[in-house]
Amino acid sequence: MNSTMLAGSSPGMAVGSGDQSGILVGMQNIGKIYPNGTIAVQNVNLLAGEREFLCFVGPSGCGKSTIFNMIAGLTNHTSGELAVLGTTPKEARKQNEIAFVFQEHTLLPWSKLIDNVTMPLTLRGVSKKERMQEGERVLELVGLKDYMKVLPRQLSGGMKMRVSIARALISRPKLLLMDEPFGALDEITRQTLQDELLNIWCNDRKMTVLFITHNVFEAVYLSTRVVVMTPRPGKVADIVHIEAPFPRTNDFRSSPEFGGYVHAVSESLKH
Amino acid sequence: MEKLVVSVNGIPEQGGVEMTSAQTLEPAPQKRKAGASSGSPLRKFAIHIAPPLIVLILFLGFWELAIRLADVKPYLFPKPSDIVKAAAENGHNLLVSVRTTIAEAVLGFAFSVILGVAFAIVLALSKTVERSVYPYAIILQTIPIVAVAPIIVIWFGAGMNAIVMIAFLIAFFPILSNTLIGLNSTEANMKNLFYLYNATKWQTIWKLRIPAALPYMLAGMKISCSLSVVGAIVGEYIAGIGGLQGGLGYAITVASTRLQTAYLFACGLSAAVMGIVFFLLINALSNRLLRSWHDSAING
Repeated sequence: MNSTMLAGSSPGMAVGSGDQSGILVGMQNIGKIYPNGTIAVQNVNLLAGEREFLCFVGPSGCGKSTIFNMIAGLTNHTSGELAVLGTTPKEARKQNEIAFVFQEHTLLPWSKLIDNVTMPLTLRGVSKKERMQEGERVLELVGLKDYMKVLPRQLSGGMKMRVSIARALISRPKLLLMDEPFGALDEITRQTLQDELLNIWCNDRKMTVLFITHNVFEAVYLSTRVVVMTPRPGKVADIVHIEAPFPRTNDFRSSPEFGGYVHAVSESLKH
Repeated sequence: MEKLVVSVNGIPEQGGVEMTSAQTLEPAPQKRKAGASSGSPLRKFAIHIAPPLIVLILFLGFWELAIRLADVKPYLFPKPSDIVKAAAENGHNLLVSVRTTIAEAVLGFAFSVILGVAFAIVLALSKTVERSVYPYAIILQTIPIVAVAPIIVIWFGAGMNAIVMIAFLIAFFPILSNTLIGLNSTEANMKNLFYLYNATKWQTIWKLRIPAALPYMLAGMKISCSLSVVGAIVGEYIAGIGGLQGGLGYAITVASTRLQTAYLFACGLSAAVMGIVFFLLINALSNRLLRSWHDSAING
């Protein structure tokens, strides 16, 4: 991978031990053209290293979800090179090191929370004892340990999203892909979950999060780097490094520094 | 860009808001239970049972009175009292007929559930199979059962086998088509998730598509259970054997040739009651299975 191609080759690390050794996602001149001729994504170059929190921000139709789907292996790119965990997306998925969170909670309505969060392990044939252990661990992580036997319908939207995050964390992923996970939540719940997600990420020693959002404030608050995308065709307009240290709190949300970053990202979005 | 949300000013205690929603969690189901059984049994009777009961009594009274006043012969149009008398006089025969018909309908229904669900799963596993086979299943369904019944009698012989077969054929299709719709209407997001977590085809079927199709399956069963009673009686018309083991359909044919109109009414009413009870049983099963998670059973 040629480093001159990269818009941001040194991840903006404020905590942890991020270095160049572990590249989780590498994109070189990635493009996606649909059969009907629509150009979804064009010339995207990006490297995501260990312990990064990368937010993709942009309006609808800028190709953020297409990038997510390509990394997940749900759709193929039509040009350029894409490596996930050093291999193709489909092979990478088989290593069980990637986890997914969607905007919808996608919980099984007939399964108790413990069965929902352990679903990835069940599919892999992990023993019941280990499943229970891991299930309790991740439910505790999101503060829902007392609700193990509860069905999803009895939870609020924010709680369902926490369960969805817990399910993603159960396999201790190296790479966590989140597609507008807080998009359907109210602002207060959204901020609570942002803080909880950052806490979990800070305490984890290796995980990289790729996070899609259309909310500039959310992107700036969470990220080590914000990838700004513009539509028609979907392109990376800019990559903004957020140098603020972790853990971040509400003080950061109201700091002039934060406003500066929001302004910078918003300006890039107008390109 | 239009969705930018101003969130610069912080909220003092982050945990608090979510916790309140967590605390309201426990009372919620109790509230629902309390709402379902609101009021005393007497009140429930006054609201739900009394009005239709009054209508029934008025209807029967009017029927009895009108026939008496017009002096219509019982073999043309029996009074309610004639029907009760006929049923009591032939009590034993009626009971045997009902029992036979129940056995036939339940057997036919059971086969239709087993084969209907199994067949739907096979069709759902492969789009190619579904595309090539399903049209014929629809065509088979449109053939009037009465038209093919004689063939079934030729193949299976008059009696129980042919009757069960006819009840099965009539009840099979609603279960097949409903289950298939259910299996095919799994949310795309859920299927993606299973795919991303490397689920095998069988895991996706057993752990996702079949549970998600359960409400559809049960809806099909609710239609089919009444149909299987119809099928059994139609089967008895055509393939019924006489003697002591004849079902309701056979009893009805005999009663009509002998102009025992009152007994004919009694048989018809017994069949209706049978159909209703069968439906209520399946409905109760459906509510029991879906109660905890599906909206149809929670609100219904």
